[in-house]
Amino acid sequence: MPWDYRSSKDFKDFYEERRLHRRITFIFVLLAGLFLSYLSNLWYLQVVNGENYRRLADNNRLRQVVLNPLRGTILDRAGRPIVRNRLSFNVLLDREKVIDREGIIRTLSRVLNLPEETIRDRIARYKNRPVFEPVIVKEDVDLSEAAYLESRRLELPEISVAVEPKRSYEQGELAAHALGYVGEISETQLSKPRYAGFQLGDVVGKAGLESFYDGDLTGQKGWKQMIVNSLGREIRELPVGRRPVSGNSLRLTIDLDLQRELEEAFADKGGSAVFLDPDSGEILALVSRPAFDPNIFARRFSAAEWGSLINSPAHPLQNRAIQSKFAPGSVFKIVLAVAALESGKAGPGRTDSCPGYAYIYGRKFLCHQEGGHGTIAMVEAIKKSCNVYFYHLGRDLGIGLISQWAHNLGFGSRTGIDLLHEEAGTVPDEEWKRRTRKEPWYPGETISVSIGQGALEVTPIQMASFAAAIGNGGVFYRPFLLKSREVRDGVEEAERAGEVVRRIHLKPSTLQVVKQAMWEVVNQGGTGTRAMIPGKDVCGKTGTAQVVKASAGVKSEKLAESIRDNAWFVGFAPRDRPRIAFAVFVERGGHGGEAAAPIAQRVMLKFFEKQEHHEEPAQIARTAQHP
Amino acid sequence: MLERRSIHNIDWLLAFSVLAIAAIGAGMVYSATVGGPLSGLAGKQAVYLLIGLLALVLAVSIDYHTLSELSPILYGTSVVLLIYLLFFGRAIANTRGWLELGPVNFQPAEMAKVTTLLALSSFMSRRRTAELGFSNMTSILAIVGLPVLLIARQPDLGTALTFLPLIAVAAFLGGIRVRTIAILVLIPILALPLLWNHYLQAYQKVRVLTFLDPARDPKGAGYQVLQSKIAVGSGGLVGKGFLEGTQGQLNFLPAQHTDFIFALLAEERGFLGSMIVLSLYFVVIYRCIAIARSARDRLGVFLAMGMVALFACQVLINIGVVVGLMPTTGVPLPLMSYGGSSLISSLAGMGLVLNVWMRRLVN
Repeated sequence: MPWDYRSSKDFKDFYEERRLHRRITFIFVLLAGLFLSYLSNLWYLQVVNGENYRRLADNNRLRQVVLNPLRGTILDRAGRPIVRNRLSFNVLLDREKVIDREGIIRTLSRVLNLPEETIRDRIARYKNRPVFEPVIVKEDVDLSEAAYLESRRLELPEISVAVEPKRSYEQGELAAHALGYVGEISETQLSKPRYAGFQLGDVVGKAGLESFYDGDLTGQKGWKQMIVNSLGREIRELPVGRRPVSGNSLRLTIDLDLQRELEEAFADKGGSAVFLDPDSGEILALVSRPAFDPNIFARRFSAAEWGSLINSPAHPLQNRAIQSKFAPGSVFKIVLAVAALESGKAGPGRTDSCPGYAYIYGRKFLCHQEGGHGTIAMVEAIKKSCNVYFYHLGRDLGIGLISQWAHNLGFGSRTGIDLLHEEAGTVPDEEWKRRTRKEPWYPGETISVSIGQGALEVTPIQMASFAAAIGNGGVFYRPFLLKSREVRDGVEEAERAGEVVRRIHLKPSTLQVVKQAMWEVVNQGGTGTRAMIPGKDVCGKTGTAQVVKASAGVKSEKLAESIRDNAWFVGFAPRDRPRIAFAVFVERGGHGGEAAAPIAQRVMLKFFEKQEHHEEPAQIARTAQHP
Repeated sequence: MLERRSIHNIDWLLAFSVLAIAAIGAGMVYSATVGGPLSGLAGKQAVYLLIGLLALVLAVSIDYHTLSELSPILYGTSVVLLIYLLFFGRAIANTRGWLELGPVNFQPAEMAKVTTLLALSSFMSRRRTAELGFSNMTSILAIVGLPVLLIARQPDLGTALTFLPLIAVAAFLGGIRVRTIAILVLIPILALPLLWNHYLQAYQKVRVLTFLDPARDPKGAGYQVLQSKIAVGSGGLVGKGFLEGTQGQLNFLPAQHTDFIFALLAEERGFLGSMIVLSLYFVVIYRCIAIARSARDRLGVFLAMGMVALFACQVLINIGVVVGLMPTTGVPLPLMSYGGSSLISSLAGMGLVLNVWMRRLVN
């Protein structure tokens, strides 16, 4: 084998040494390259994209917290609170601190008197929420429970009591429909420009005044900026933000005493009533029955309670004073009398003979008085509510004139009360029949309308407004509930004056006849005797509106309740310078004189009693000229 | 022992860089923990730093050839400790990696890094063949593999992984053929499916998947990476200032005093701060490589290069995780992350390299 220089040890060492150094250099270059790439990556992250990451970091740590303003309170006309915000106590469970879950559930169950299952369900509901968000175990606990838990903070660190303002309807069901209620904003509301800036979860007015004056009551949201840590816990507040501005308080025209009296007078009857000041349109009391307790809407509401209100056949959420339309019954006879006197088609001296029925257009129409009223003139016909007299009068007037005067007297159009969803009602005539039913008007229908039946539909608020206009000589004020707003802390805007919507010029003679008749209804043994108050000259007119045809001439108490007539009583007092006007409607109440008149009497008694005791400051200076 | 002339032969640049990193680390540990439940840790870290310096001085004082002769004993001790842990170790954070010595806990795995480095270097320096044969390769795998398997059983996969560069560097410098390297690279790639299906635990699979697609699980495993990137990125050029890092101070950063300490540094000190620290690390590695080049014997070369492998690998993995280039592994940043065992073993390892430099000149 020839000698190979590569086998010499020197060469091997040299060769190996070179290889070792080459490989060390390779490692060095590799590492240098890696470090450079890391450095460039850092440059890219920190310098090129620094701004984006800084924004992300800010989003992490800054949380804008919306501060909800307190809703304005609602007071009665004398400044007594009807709706307030009270502090309610909610029991919270901090899931981060729970060690012995079952133990704490047992304790809570015992202290709060809740089934363990309920508590477990409520905790389970928060499963997908961040763990620092406390579970509301029970809301609105009473003070003693809250105090008991607060005093055991050391033993029960995972339990706390939080205070939350809650809408509180101090009087429960009282005036529920006028006040309305609040609830979480709906998707539909959110899409309206009026609710710009609102977000889901916000509490807004849903009905009644709470909804109509939501803009006043809501106030302005504030905000604060908090620094939060990774758990979402608030660490510190930044010195920016805006304090919330509480909503304005509202002072209503409602008189709490009268309202209470009216509610009590209604007892468990269904129906509606409106009492107002005929010289301004201020609503002194407004009732719709059955009612509901607005407080249940202020709670985190259970579907069951909600369903029972929505699906109740009695429709407790419906404000019957403005949304329910009923036949006016005999009250409408006043409209016929006014139409006849004003048009000159008949005078007060027009007499008629009532045998208890009348044959008109080949059909028999009954009077409610078996055997009839005999010969009867206009005033007495109103006082005794004689159907036959008005059948004939209606026939002679014709539907055109009747409907024209019904419109003149406020029927068939909204009164413009400061509540949403008011109905206009229906005043039928030939044109209406053609438009809605595509049929001609039959003369027989005029006869039904003449005694306030048929397609005629009115609302209690229209009836009250009509009574007020008769009382004050033909001035229609817009009925209203808001007397004044608080504009700044404790500073009220000027009280709202009555707003004249329309004046009708009635001859003094017309007014005199109608007022005389209405006075006799109450004070001369007419149908409204039960509303009489000695010395107060109450004027009124009863109405008994048929629910079914068969009820004519049958004593209402003999009928099943579901088909009993509806009872009306509308009027004003005193006769010459009315201070109060009203419409009382009792569903299925039977005869107006029996069911509705006593309710009106009771409220008026309260009203006059208060006036005599000067509980109410002297009548507000009137801006509207008395005609 | 330490002779006078050796003092003059200290590589001051390396020593200074190492101490500077450790000091910055202690400062960052302070920032990461101040005012929180862990606020005493910075003081502890300072104490560990002192102990670490003693370990460094000790590692410098004894001639590395002497240490090499002692290496079987040192290595054996570490292995025994690791075995002991598997049976009697106290589980902290689900791993049995901690040995309790009265008031302090220490991680034998960290000590094993230095003793394994010594043992491996001793073995490599005694080899007489130019080529790296099969039996030598087996020995390398055995020396490093034993502690790796024991640590992986704790289970502490992150720490176990950091040993693997020792095998790579020993084989590479030991003369392995390029062809063999290619084969060795192919085997793990082919073994991946097996590893995936039979060895990786569920949480580790999630980490890998999350790494590949951070948006997979932003609230879980991806959360850490995302928050870490936000911390690093939001630091900008000059940082938010000491104790002003919102990601860190408000606890958005996970494990900010240990595995994610670099993210905190990047947030509070910005690109300039990260660049300075990265440069210091590079200076350390550069000096270690220079020392390897000028070592007077193979033992010195392997000691210095082994340390480079251990050290550089941990730095790159840790920062790689922090900036989102790698899946979360749980590897501490040498010299900076809070933790006595890691700090002391890093300083002791650096002591060995300084030792090689000091005794590079043959008498």
